[in-house]
Amino acid sequence: MKYIIIVLQILVLYGFVLIGNSLQDILHLPLPGSIIGLLLLLAALSLKVFRLEWVESGSYFLLSYLPLYFIPATVGVMNYGHVFAGKGFLLIPITMISTFLTMWISSTLSQLLAKKSAKKEEVSCK
Amino acid sequence: MQIMLFSILFVFVTVAVYLAMNLLYFKYHKAFFIPILTTTIGIILILLLFRVPYETYMLGGKWVDLLLGPAIVSLAIPLYKQRELIKQNMFPILGGILTGVLVGMISGVLFAKLVGFSKEIVVSLLPKSITTPIAIQIASALGGVNSLTIAFVMIAGFTGIILGPTFLNWFRIDTAIGRGIGLGAAAHALGTSKAIELGEQEASYSSIAMTLSAIIGSIVGPVMAWFFY
Repeated sequence: MKYIIIVLQILVLYGFVLIGNSLQDILHLPLPGSIIGLLLLLAALSLKVFRLEWVESGSYFLLSYLPLYFIPATVGVMNYGHVFAGKGFLLIPITMISTFLTMWISSTLSQLLAKKSAKKEEVSCK
Repeated sequence: MQIMLFSILFVFVTVAVYLAMNLLYFKYHKAFFIPILTTTIGIILILLLFRVPYETYMLGGKWVDLLLGPAIVSLAIPLYKQRELIKQNMFPILGGILTGVLVGMISGVLFAKLVGFSKEIVVSLLPKSITTPIAIQIASALGGVNSLTIAFVMIAGFTGIILGPTFLNWFRIDTAIGRGIGLGAAAHALGTSKAIELGEQEASYSSIAMTLSAIIGSIVGPVMAWFFY
């Protein structure tokens, strides 16, 4: 029974993907259909027109095996090894430096803003 | 008939290798044993050994691919459950993530363009700090190569897992929110797996950063590509 519920809920989630895909087609949105589906589900949950229990076990089942679904795409790297040869090797340090910068800016800014708003709260409490 | 047999065989191989590698990871728990990496290497070795071209493997692979969409939609659930935390820290969370997405995309594109890489490669590099399932959607819509995007996403993720904690000490990040947002915004799901080791709060912030970066990134990505090309 538990597995039948999971399968049904995955089908419901797939429904959101299909709706997202057709909205993307009709409205010519630059967003991927699955992201539109994610936003629709989020909106439906927040507006209380859709209940968490209707998809919860299916979504946790899917998320617990998440890496499995992009294995087929990662295996495709076998056809692109040559890109990282020669000059292409530079792509590795470029990616690392850009990741470093991203982490630096995002962590510093969110910490700064959090400390600022905590201070403000302290002042207003006095 | 033969196509169906191949499809079933490759779905089976993919799932079997993945489950085996998962067990290996649970046993040793080293960053380099993460299932996505070991499974990929394992399957590539099998394909090379039996001289199976990637296109033949994809007869089965595309069926596994099919679950990617519903899995992305599922990311709404953890995000929804953390809505209170997000509301309480709206500005620090959104400020950090939005600038993170911008810095990640702009810096990567600029460096790669300076060195003179082709558009195909630059666009594949663009979403490297976004979680894999969404990064490949962003890149392929812009004319990138899925497999390359995944390689970049993995490099970014491993940078986060292996060097992330050291970086955060250099930057003097001593709050859960700073560490979580930094790891999630720069190194997506892999960064979040590191954040889980740092603490429960770090893990929550990191998963929020991962999901919101993906949503924001899929809006900003096309704008960036349009701006640079």
